[in-house]
Amino acid sequence: MADVIVHIEGLKKYFEPHQSLIQSIGKSGPKKVIKAVDSISFDIVRGEIFGLIGESGSGKTTTGKLVMKLLDPTEGVIEFNNEDVTKLDKAGVIEYRRKVQMIFQDPYASMNPRFKIRDVLEEPLIIHKIGSSFDERQKLIIKALEEVKMMPAEEFMGRYPHMLSGGQRQRVATARTLILNPSLLVADEPVSMIDLSTRAEILAMMKDVQEDLGLSYLYITHDLSTARYFTDRIAVMYLGRIVEMGLADDIIDNPLHPYTQALIQAVPEPNAGNVGVVKELPIFGEIPSPANIPSGCRFHTRCPYAKPECENEAEPELMPAGNGHFHACRRWDQIKRAL
Amino acid sequence: MSSGDTKFKLSEFWNEFKKEKSGIVGLVILLLCLLVVIFEPLILPWKEANSKWRDINYWQDNPASAPPEWTNVFSKQKAPVTQRITKGKREEVELEGGAKMVTYTLDYNYTADKAPLDVIFHISGTGDIPLTVSIERPDGLQVELFQRFEQGLSNQDIRISVDNDGREAAFAFIKQYESELALEDYSSTSLRTGDILFSIAQTGMAKEFKPLKGTYKLIAQAMILDPANMDISDPYVVVTGSVSGILGTDDSKRDLASGLIAGMKWALMIGFLTSIVSVLIGVLYGIISAYFGGKVDSVMMFIYQIVNSIPVLPVLIVISAIFKPNIYTLILVMIIFFWTGSVMTVRSMALQIKEETYIEAAKALGATNRRIIFRHMVPLLIPYSFASMALSVPSAIVYESSVSLLGLGDATIVTWGQILHDAMQGAAVLKGLWWWVIPPGLAIAAMGMTFAFIGFSMDKILHPKLQTR
Amino acid sequence: MEKLLNVENLKMHYFTSKGAVRAIDDISFDLLVGETLGLVGESGCGKTSLATSILRMPSPPGRYVSGRIMVEGRDIIPLPEKEIRKNIRWEKISMVFQGAMNCLTPVYTIGKQMLETLNVHKEMPKPEAEALVKEYLGYVGLPPEIMGRYPHELSGGMKQRAVIATALFLKPSIVILDEPTTALDVIVQAQIISLLKKLKAQFNLSFIFITHDLALEAEVADRICVMYAGKIVELGLNGQIFGAQGPAHPYTERLLAATPRLFQKVEKLHFIPGTPPDLIEPPLGCRFNPRCNKAIPRCREEEPPLAEIEPGHMAACWLCNR
Repeated sequence: MADVIVHIEGLKKYFEPHQSLIQSIGKSGPKKVIKAVDSISFDIVRGEIFGLIGESGSGKTTTGKLVMKLLDPTEGVIEFNNEDVTKLDKAGVIEYRRKVQMIFQDPYASMNPRFKIRDVLEEPLIIHKIGSSFDERQKLIIKALEEVKMMPAEEFMGRYPHMLSGGQRQRVATARTLILNPSLLVADEPVSMIDLSTRAEILAMMKDVQEDLGLSYLYITHDLSTARYFTDRIAVMYLGRIVEMGLADDIIDNPLHPYTQALIQAVPEPNAGNVGVVKELPIFGEIPSPANIPSGCRFHTRCPYAKPECENEAEPELMPAGNGHFHACRRWDQIKRAL
Repeated sequence: MSSGDTKFKLSEFWNEFKKEKSGIVGLVILLLCLLVVIFEPLILPWKEANSKWRDINYWQDNPASAPPEWTNVFSKQKAPVTQRITKGKREEVELEGGAKMVTYTLDYNYTADKAPLDVIFHISGTGDIPLTVSIERPDGLQVELFQRFEQGLSNQDIRISVDNDGREAAFAFIKQYESELALEDYSSTSLRTGDILFSIAQTGMAKEFKPLKGTYKLIAQAMILDPANMDISDPYVVVTGSVSGILGTDDSKRDLASGLIAGMKWALMIGFLTSIVSVLIGVLYGIISAYFGGKVDSVMMFIYQIVNSIPVLPVLIVISAIFKPNIYTLILVMIIFFWTGSVMTVRSMALQIKEETYIEAAKALGATNRRIIFRHMVPLLIPYSFASMALSVPSAIVYESSVSLLGLGDATIVTWGQILHDAMQGAAVLKGLWWWVIPPGLAIAAMGMTFAFIGFSMDKILHPKLQTR
Repeated sequence: MEKLLNVENLKMHYFTSKGAVRAIDDISFDLLVGETLGLVGESGCGKTSLATSILRMPSPPGRYVSGRIMVEGRDIIPLPEKEIRKNIRWEKISMVFQGAMNCLTPVYTIGKQMLETLNVHKEMPKPEAEALVKEYLGYVGLPPEIMGRYPHELSGGMKQRAVIATALFLKPSIVILDEPTTALDVIVQAQIISLLKKLKAQFNLSFIFITHDLALEAEVADRICVMYAGKIVELGLNGQIFGAQGPAHPYTERLLAATPRLFQKVEKLHFIPGTPPDLIEPPLGCRFNPRCNKAIPRCREEEPPLAEIEPGHMAACWLCNR
């Protein structure tokens, strides 16, 4: 059994619309529950980069926040280092956050615009009472900035986030998480706001850091092409469920679930000869609302291969297909043969 | 945070603040105001203005509704300035029987084009004093104005108003030059003593006042029968001109400059205390309500709505009727109702800030609620708080005066609001007594502006995005 | 082929307190009937400035410095604003602005907002206008009921479709698409791209397609125009840029190398170190030289002209000019 750092089982997060005081006193009709995450299970092995792929509304960001304990799960287990962290007390949560850190999609938004870079990096130290003096913290801050190749560190410390480029901001955001010496980093679309020319630079930096410090990543993205380069394993989410999971190369070269297939076909490739072709994806329409999840297999409304049983029978669970590859499609065999 | 950090942050802040011109202007005005408050005892023209603002006797020597002295610069006919002459020459003549005649002579240099309204003698006396007051004009004529026998004095102030007490003598004086005919509509009650005494003595003086300029000798003479037990001392004369003081007087003869200076500290205190405390409460209330959301928000909003919907004035009246209204209870009551002013705006701003990613990032770093509120949310609301404070400073001052309007203000102090309120009561605007209305109004406005300047400058510094790179 | 649009030596600078930002610095290109011209570059290279300049609405403090924008043989820069509004903007050239779908007013229905745009440009009776809106909603694959919906009730893809329909109302011949799929998911992006291709054939449109994503340009653009720091560095046919031979300019080359490819397992992604230059004082010589790994001394001294290196393929690089 591999060394599992995060074990997630049956994790659910349902949101109920907010009601005012008056509304909650009075009689209320049936509540519309938004099932953002609807029973997912996966493990992250120590030292691996685990990719969570999905469209907006798939629940991937909510999953990230659940792992970060920014949200409390409705149901399910999150184990970190074999310890259940769903019911931590206040001190426990603060301690947990020292070990599990997050990099946000928009590095600019994730930093208080009134803080100088030094303040941004000092905050985690103050929160976790690391470094008793100004000078001691200064040293740690410089070290963290150098770790992400922001040099000369002294010069950057006095700047405001808006004075930096997108890439530099994401470096600072990474430095802020590294300063606490975490063992797991949740990275929610860390490069989607960054210019293509520097995107690879940031990913390479993150990978370097991961190898240097032996970190594990939960990499959340909608971008399959960076995921293939960046991650070891991938889980594809659709409407709050994992529909396929496996090694990154397996998923992309040999997708089993029709949703993954559509997702892969949708990715544009920088090759000549596509201009004249109008691409027809093997998928219908758009993702339904998580407040109104279709019965049976939740993908059947958009699936070109759907049969009545997909709608009427119970939702398929993740099934193994060998080599650590899992999928949740009951017709995967037929689809494969049809292709 | 260590004190070193705080010092560093403050010096950094100050360096940036220095660059803001309007902020510096505001700060300078505020410092001036503070200096005025600190040095109030030195610069107050009427030293007891604080304690005797409502004491009619204290102000009785002043002209009523007199414009400021400097208005003379703009007028052709110079009005006499209200003056207090204290330098007197004492002469003693020993009389037989141990008694002595004491004479005080005070010089008044009259240069104006209009006659003074009144000349008021003050002298302290002990025992039984027969007192004679007379005036010696530059043309050598001497008019004995008044005689009186004061009995049983124990170093008490004797006040003699020439306009009142010298009427008969003045009438007698004018009769020497004018015919009965000319004085037909003149009587000892309608004449103005000053117009006669300071006029060139000639026929026609009843019709037209021609000033006799020069040095007038104001003489007070008393026969001291028993020098061991009786005496007069410390004479002074107030020549009541038709202009007075730096800022004139109101219709109750009060010196407005004194009132404004004395009111400064109360304005600062009412403004500062009420606005700072109520805005602080409001901002924290709004942030907490927004930040925690859900049930907390619902309950807090419910309380807010109740407080917000209570009409303030009736409550103030009731409270003022139950408690003796002093300024601190007034401030307290104002705070109790004023804090709601900023809640809604702050709440909606905080709701927005709460959704910012960096708040989530701070949470992810393990920051406590308190840290997020005070380190990330409050600083963002400081500019608004200052603007809000700047706005509620004048409204607090005006509110205080509204309460005074109902007779519920603190009667032991003088405030700008009360001065304005008195001006309103005295129909100052209708009567054209601009010096009664504009200075306190300007003072209130300047106070608000000062805070606004400082607030906007802080806003610029605390919003680094507004700075040009 | 017939030229629809011809931009000649266009210079448009932003006059700020710090100095003139040369956002568009001597740019010439043309747009042929029925083609899609892809405009690529990093953020801040002047793509959007070029688009708004072509619409004759440079955002302040931008001003035209020199050059001509020929639409059907007529220079539109000196034309009065009234004329532009009446005959050029939206009539001949329309635009899907970046993030336009997120700029829909939340308090009005989609139909009201679309009708309003229509009214600004053309007066027509209400029933007719409504019929037109419904017709165009149909073209972009939306049901007519959408008219009564509020923006928050629609998904990003649906809103973008509505925005595209709005751009097509007045039958323009040129549509400028500024990052029309950037905020969308891959599947929706692919759907929108397919829709655009269909619409282009159906209405015989010409597109100027702006994006920072070279992979997307490979899918949509007949010709690719690569911009760097306010200048065109390379202009070539799709096959020339993405074909076996590869792009000519080192910038394009490295931009392409930085574009991740799904079906290639790469060990190391490439990137371009550094940031685009300050456009107030651009570097001497070739503007890319500080970031270029192939720069020769001449690149630092002399600015390379945009020269043809093979038929239909131009590049501004001393190394490519033979």
